[in-house]
Parts: sequence; C-alpha cells; structure tokens
Amino acid sequence: MKTCDVAILGAGSIGVPLAYYCAKKGLSVLVLDKEPSWGRGQNRAAIGGIRATHSDPAKIKIGLLSLDIARNMKEEHGLNIEWHQGGYMFVAYDEERERSFKDLLVVQKAAGLDIDWISPDRVLELSPGLNPEGLRGGTYSPGDGFASPLMTSTAFHKLALDAGAEFRFGETVTGFGIEGRRIRTVRTDAGEYSAGTFVNAAGAEAAGLGNLAGLELPVHPDLHEGGVTEPVRRFMEPMVVDMRGDDRSGNYYFYQAGTGQVIFCITPKPQIWGTDTDNTSAFLPHCVSRMVSLYPRLRNLKVRRTWRGCYPMTPDGLPVVGYPREPENLLLAVGMCGQGFMLGPGLGKILADTLTGDGARYGQVFEELSLYRKFEGMELLK
Amino acid sequence: MNRIVDHPILSAPEGRTSVTFSFDGAALSGFEGEAVSSALFAAGVQTFSVHPRGDAPQGIFCANGQCSQCTVLIDGVARKACITPLAEGMDVRTLHGFPELPARDAPRAAVSGETLSTDVLVIGGGPSGLAAAAELARLGLSVILADDKVSLGGKLVLQTHKFFGSEEDCYAGTRGIEIAKRLEEDIRSLPGVTVLENSPVAGLYKDRKAGVWRNYESYVLVDFKALVVAAGAREKSVLFPGNDLPGVYGAGAFQTLVNRDLVRAARRVLIIGSGNVGLIGAYHALQAGIEVAGIVEILPKVNGYKVHADKIVRMGVPVYLNTTVVSVEGNGKVERATVAEVDKDWRPILSTARTYEVDTVLVAAGLSPCDEFYRQAVDFGFLAVTAGDAEEIAEASSAMFGGRIAALSLAKLLGKKVDIDESWLAKREVLKSRPGDNLCRDEEIPTEFWKPVFFCTEEIPCNPCTTVCPTHSIQLKERKGSIMDLPYFEGSSCKGCTVCVAACPGLAMSLMRRVDEGWAEVVLPFEFKADFEPGARLPVLDQEGAFLEDAELLKKVFNRKYRTWILTLKVSRANAPRAIGIRVQSEAATRPLPAPRFEHLPDDAVVCRCERITVGEIVRFIRENAVTDVNQLKTLRVGMGACGSKTCSVLLPQVFRKAGIDPARTTAGTLRPLALEIPMKDLINEAAGRPL
Repeated sequence: MKTCDVAILGAGSIGVPLAYYCAKKGLSVLVLDKEPSWGRGQNRAAIGGIRATHSDPAKIKIGLLSLDIARNMKEEHGLNIEWHQGGYMFVAYDEERERSFKDLLVVQKAAGLDIDWISPDRVLELSPGLNPEGLRGGTYSPGDGFASPLMTSTAFHKLALDAGAEFRFGETVTGFGIEGRRIRTVRTDAGEYSAGTFVNAAGAEAAGLGNLAGLELPVHPDLHEGGVTEPVRRFMEPMVVDMRGDDRSGNYYFYQAGTGQVIFCITPKPQIWGTDTDNTSAFLPHCVSRMVSLYPRLRNLKVRRTWRGCYPMTPDGLPVVGYPREPENLLLAVGMCGQGFMLGPGLGKILADTLTGDGARYGQVFEELSLYRKFEGMELLK
Repeated sequence: MNRIVDHPILSAPEGRTSVTFSFDGAALSGFEGEAVSSALFAAGVQTFSVHPRGDAPQGIFCANGQCSQCTVLIDGVARKACITPLAEGMDVRTLHGFPELPARDAPRAAVSGETLSTDVLVIGGGPSGLAAAAELARLGLSVILADDKVSLGGKLVLQTHKFFGSEEDCYAGTRGIEIAKRLEEDIRSLPGVTVLENSPVAGLYKDRKAGVWRNYESYVLVDFKALVVAAGAREKSVLFPGNDLPGVYGAGAFQTLVNRDLVRAARRVLIIGSGNVGLIGAYHALQAGIEVAGIVEILPKVNGYKVHADKIVRMGVPVYLNTTVVSVEGNGKVERATVAEVDKDWRPILSTARTYEVDTVLVAAGLSPCDEFYRQAVDFGFLAVTAGDAEEIAEASSAMFGGRIAALSLAKLLGKKVDIDESWLAKREVLKSRPGDNLCRDEEIPTEFWKPVFFCTEEIPCNPCTTVCPTHSIQLKERKGSIMDLPYFEGSSCKGCTVCVAACPGLAMSLMRRVDEGWAEVVLPFEFKADFEPGARLPVLDQEGAFLEDAELLKKVFNRKYRTWILTLKVSRANAPRAIGIRVQSEAATRPLPAPRFEHLPDDAVVCRCERITVGEIVRFIRENAVTDVNQLKTLRVGMGACGSKTCSVLLPQVFRKAGIDPARTTAGTLRPLALEIPMKDLINEAAGRPL
C-alpha cells in the first residue's frame, strides 16, 4: 500500500496549492480526485477574483497571503496566471449602502487593508461609462485583483508535480480505515492509501466526504452561474460589485480579465441549493440586463460562454478550517462559500506551515474558522 | 469587381439595390442585404482582421456564422462579416487586435424576452430538419423550426448540381437549389409549423428551454417538449503549416461565396479532399470561371462517387491520390501550395513535393456532425432525436428520409400512435450507402439506331435515367435489388430524345448513332457556358479523362428543365462508344512550378484558429503538464475562443497522438452555452426598446 505524509482529498482550489506547499516543505504528498484532472470540480467555475477585502479578520489574513502569492507567481516561478491588479470597487447608489460600506471601512482599515471611500468621479475614472445617475461613490481596494483560475490551478499543479507531489485522478473515495481516533487509510474505487494526515479539500463534496469519516460538516452547496464575453481592449480597471438586489437576485459583479474578456456572475434569489451544474435559461437575460443598466457601455459586448458552479456554503458564510475532535488527523479545509479560488493559495501555505510545525502565528485563523464555532450572523461581503 | 455575371446554372438575383460603403476608408459598392463578407470578397478584400497573436492576417473560414474568423469592425463594433447584411453607408474596417468597446452610442431600454412554447423544436432547416418538421406537423404536433439562414434548405441552396437518388423519393435529377425552394414552399404551407428563419439556436438549458438569437437581434427562449437536432455538419479543419493564411477556407464557404452570393472568390484553387464535397467544389469552381490546380487526397482511392470524380477529371482537373498538403505559403495571403506523396504511415515524402501557384486552398477533408445540441439534450435527459448530417454524414437524399424517420420515432415517444413504414428504413439505408462495387460494362457498338451509353460503373443510389425515359427502355439490372444497381438499355426503342442525358446527375450518359462507316453522332451533356457554335472542334475525352479527339460540334440545344446544354458531336466510329466528356480547363492551370518552393514546418500548423494555437505549442504543453483532459488545454486558450472549440476539437486526437498520448485515454472538453457569441444588447432585446 502506498504510504505518504499527507493525503489530500480533492485536487481543486484548495488541494492543488496545498499539495505544492506541502511537497515544497518536504512532505510526501498524494492527491486524490474523482475528476479526470485538476481543478475540474468548482475551481473551473470560479470567476477569478482575488481580494483581501473581506469583513472578517481571518479571511482578510488569508486573502492578503493569496494576493501576495498571485502577484509574485510570474516573478517567482515564471508562470503566467494572468494576474491583473485592478482592485475591487463596491459601488453605492443609495444612502443605506453608502453607510454600510463606510461602517465596514473601519473594520477593514483596522485589519490593515488598503481600502478607502472614493468619489463618483473616481468611480467613473476607474470604469468609464458606468451609469452616473444616483452614483454616490464606492469603496476601492487597489491591492486586490484577478487571475485566471484555470491557469492558476495549472500553475500550482505543475509546481506540485515538480516538487514531487503525486496526483491520482479518476479515483473516488469510498471510505476510510479508522482505528481509534485516527484515520489510517483512505479507500478509493481503485486502491487504498495510508497517510499521517488526511485533508478534506473536497469543495462541494466536503460534507459527503466528512460523512465517510463519521463527521457532520455544515457545508451545503448552492448554485451560481457565471459568464464570459469576447475580449476587448481594456476599458475598466476594477472588479465592480453591485450589492443591491432585486426580486430575482442579490449582488452581481464583473471585471475585465487581464486578457480582455469581461467575466461576470450573479447571486440568485432565493438561493438554489444543489449540485446540478448544468446551465439554466434564466441566468443570462437577467444578469445581463442588470449589468447593462449599471454599465450601458457593455451593450455591444458579446457574451461568449456561461457556466454553473457550486458555492460550498456554511451557515455563517465563513470557511471551516482545522482539525475536528475526531478523527483527529482529518484536517478540514472546507466550506469556502464560493471563495476557494481566492483563499486557496494563502490557505495552502498556512496549512502546509501548520503541518510542518510552523503554524503558530496562524492561531487566530483556526480559532475563527473552527468547526466548533457558533455559526451566527453572515459575512457582510459574501 | 469579382462578380459572376455569366454562370451557366445560376442567374444573378434580380432587383438588388446597389449601396456604397467604405472599407478602411476607401469607397466600395455592393448589394444591399448581401453578407458584408461577400461584398468584401467581390471587392477583392480577403483579410478581415489582424490577430493579436503574432499580428497574423485572418481571412474567412466558414462563411457560415460559426467560426468568427471573418470578424471586422462595422460602424465601430466588431461583428462577423458573414452574418451581417450590408447597408448603405457602412463604415467597415479591418479589426486590428481586440476591438475597442464604443464609449457612447445609442442605448435603448431593455425589454423582457419572450418565451415561445411548442411540442417540438427542430434545430436546422436543411433537408432533414424540413422533412422532420413537416412530418411532425402532419401528425398534429406544434413545431418551431429554427434555422440560422434567411433561406431554408440548408446546404441545398448552395448546390448547383443535379442530385442522385430516385425521382419519386428525393428529387433525383433536380439541382439542390431547386429542391431547397420546393422544400421551403412545402414547410411554409403547413399551419402547425412556426419558422424562425435567420435565427440560430445559441444554447440549450437544463430547464428544457433553448435560447434562440432571433433575426440576429433579439433573444427568445423556446420551451419545448422534445427536440429534433438537424443542425447539419461542418468542415473538418486540416493541419498543415499556413492553414490559417487568408485564402485557406472551407469548401462550404466557397460554395456560399460562389453559388449563393455569385462572387468569384478566387482565381485558382487547390482542393484538399476527394469526397463528394471536394469533387463538387471543383465543379462549382469551374462553373464560376475559377481554375482548379488539382484535388489532393491522402487516401489511395477517391473518397466520393466515381461518377463525380470522373466528370471532374474529364473537365480537366487532376485528382492526386496518396498525396497531402505540406505547406501553404504567401505574404499575408495564399500564394502557393506545396503537396507531396505520402508513405504508408501517411508521412509526406518531401522528395516528391510539387508547388502550385494558387490563391486559394479549399478544405474539404470531410465533415463532422453538428451534434452538440443532441449530445447535450441526451445528457439533460430530454426527448431528442437527431437527423441528417448531424446524425450521420451522408447525401441530402438520405437526410430527407432520415428526417421523416426521426420525426416519427419522436412522435412515438411523445405518445402518438404511428407506424414507421418499413420501406422508408430500407430506402434510407440505400440512400446513405457508401458506393458499392465498380463493375465493368461491355463496349457498345454504334448502330444506325440511337442508343444510350452509360459511363456509370460504380454502384451508387441513383436512378433518374430509368424514370425519365419516355419509352421505359432503361432499367436497373438486378444485382443488389435496390437503386444501387446499374442502369442498362433494354430493348430497341430509343427515340434519341436526350432527356436521360440531360437528367443524369453524374453527366455520365451519352446517346450514340452511327452515321456511316467512319463516323457516329454522339450526344453529350454540358453544364458550362457553351460559347461555341456548330462547326467548332471540341476536345472529347473518355470516361476517365483521356483525350480521344477533337470532334466537330454538329448541334447545340439548351434543355431548360435541366439547365443543361445538349451537344451533338461528330466523333470517329472507333471513339464514339467511349466519348463522354469535354475538357473545359486547359492543362496550364494544373502545372506545378518548375521546382518546389516551401519550408517544412509541421509544428506551425494552427489547431485552435480562434486563438491561433499551434500543434507544437499544444504538444509541448501536454508533455510538460501530463495532460490527458482536453479541458486543461483551455489554459493555453485552446477551445476558449469565439467558436467554442467547434473547429479544433476534431483535430485534438491527432495532437494528443503526436504528444504520445492515446486519444482514447483522454477526456473530452465540456460544452457550454452559448454556441455562438451574442451581444448583450440582443440578449436584453434592446431592438424592441425605446431609446434612452
């Protein structure tokens, strides 16, 4: 039986960077995924934003680390992930929104974020042609940006391969061999592997995987659709987020990728629970009509493709990270609530550090994201 | 102006309005409503954009709204030239790199989209889709038929040749353009059918709806109970260096330019592929006054019907077997093509290379079915059938039967009590059969009585000669027991009426009568401009194109029904039984350069045309990243372009093989809507909204 230090279950947004950071630290790493290749669960559906602009200190910390990694990927490893530091811009068209953004700024600044309120003129400078009617301004965090999830996962896969990690695709986990409080082996439909630590990085399927180890995880996927347009010359800088809702949707957001395409996504109302990632007809006309009314200039832009993916949601909109009481060697990195792509690189680094005894400085992260927290409230910038 | 004004079969549409427009600032004229791409070709413009990768000039490829290679800037907005109708005053420009999104133009209010409901949605208005829609409507089902073209009939509207098959079942002996007209009239007379013409289906959704880009300006959803996918087929791209130069395009695009829009798109072409599409492409070219340097076929045998190939060869077009294209080169456009024979492993033998001076290379190396919607429908668990080329690549005649059969099987699934006539199944099988055996015929001897001479020796599904003969003197000789059997003259009552000569789709029949000991009269069909008069001497050839003699023309008569000239020639008695063709192209057009001139850089062949990704780049990426999943090639942007991997997906198995990966071990790319790009303003139906 193959034995390794760490068996990572899930080769997605979390698992692939984690595999790299673990292998780089000298751990022997095996990554298992039922998909035929890396990033084919929900990573492929991520739209590509990476930000530290959250409302929760733990996520801010992870986000800052991810940003740092994305920003330096080219220089450090010579790998292009189409990073573009366009910033995030949350626009306000009503007083209430303005007030809540400004309230949040206090927390965000206290957490060390480079973020501030900007005037309507500055908003229009960053996204020329945005509807000026009723525009009150917005928050802008110039350090945030975006990268290609595809290229990022391919980059980490390549780095992980080069660092010695082993990937086994097309294998579905069927159970665990548990002895006492610890997992000894993981069984798949193709074999059995033993490891010192097992990592649940199974994204939308994290709860099912937890069940196999006798663990209840409060992770329930809901569905979101996204789309991409033809590429055009750069006409806007930041990710634009409109937090307003209407009767059929909540917020929506879009940005122009480093390669020129506009990528967009909307939060349906009510939430659509489930895992059926086939496209539906309602998304495109609705999302596009909201986008064009906010940004009339988009009217001539051609939509190229759409897709659907899962947000592995938790009751409070925050991930679950850390060890459960039992099995004590099943490290959880689940419930990313649709932000696995932006949290993955930073979290990978933190978990690899922790696995090699170098994680003392991340105590707060594990505390806040513990499986045993109260799961009250909802993250404000979800 | 490269307009065809004297086509032997087609007449220029009447009553068209001339309009003026500009291209890169220069004033040009064209016809209102014609495709911008055709107006540009007519004006000699073949470079539509400059690709941001490598500043490479891009020309047309599909001319069918599918591939996006003909994108130009029209009044400041990037649009596909092949689906944009020309209008007075248009400002058309070469698109350099990515387009600029107009900062301000004239927005209109969004209008909520309509949702139409129907029992059956038929995707595609070609022969199979039309047949299916008609059959379903007759059974009392409501049908919406969506087709991406203004005129129904699919590729029939591009076919100037007479069709094979049988008269009673599938309009054999009638030209495709005429069949299309009749089918369109039929469908429009049926009350249960709503036709959405000029409206491609852009996506299928899990909630059992289809998104239709109606009239290329608005977006409607169609709620359906069941689906017929009859979307036809598309040309397979071929890998050779230079395959993305302007001037390399599909034979279908060529047919569109030449036969639909009457544009003389080229001066001299080389054709890749000897299937019926390639063979007919050569015939269309010659009819349009375009020279054909030759047809290359990598296989050791002609891939299409022998009668087609024979007639093309007789017209003066060589078919080179065991031969492939090794390079197409030129400064910004095709100027020459180099071909070479292949060894037993299909590798080119460079010492056999020959270079031809051509301005166009037509890709006709087979078709792949447009079956994406069908596969998706099956995945989604919808009631769906497929018909025509989307089901299996074959002739239009079998597509019509396939459409009817598919419709009935679908009606059954929808709970209708129907029986499928067994004879239809049999007929469809015959109509779609590959050619059978090539048989020998005894040489006929001229006598004092008229008699037909047959030059079809290969078994194909075809019998018009037997049904048009007024004395019923032509019969199939039973061997297979179907219309695959060959026709023979039975009896002695040929009146010399020449109808069989005019009707034969293969131009493979003559009439012959002895005049005296030395001479015979021979009656031949001719489908080109007959700009010669009795007394002229014409080069007469045998079945496979060998020169027999220069024969004197005695008489020429135009058969209006079949739009075919009937020529009577005075041929020596010895040659008369073998005379069947008249060369129309001089040998000079087919001569290679004295010495080959090319670079051999096979890794430079472009696989993904939208993003200009080469074989070499993909092979390297596959090796470096241990790729076995096509989806991972998206990292290189393969398949991420405007066409949605329609063109590159069929090439990827060869590329994986080249990288040492068995294609059977690879995972296919995922298909997602939209099947073609749609501007946001159309998705929100701005056209119907008030100005803002």
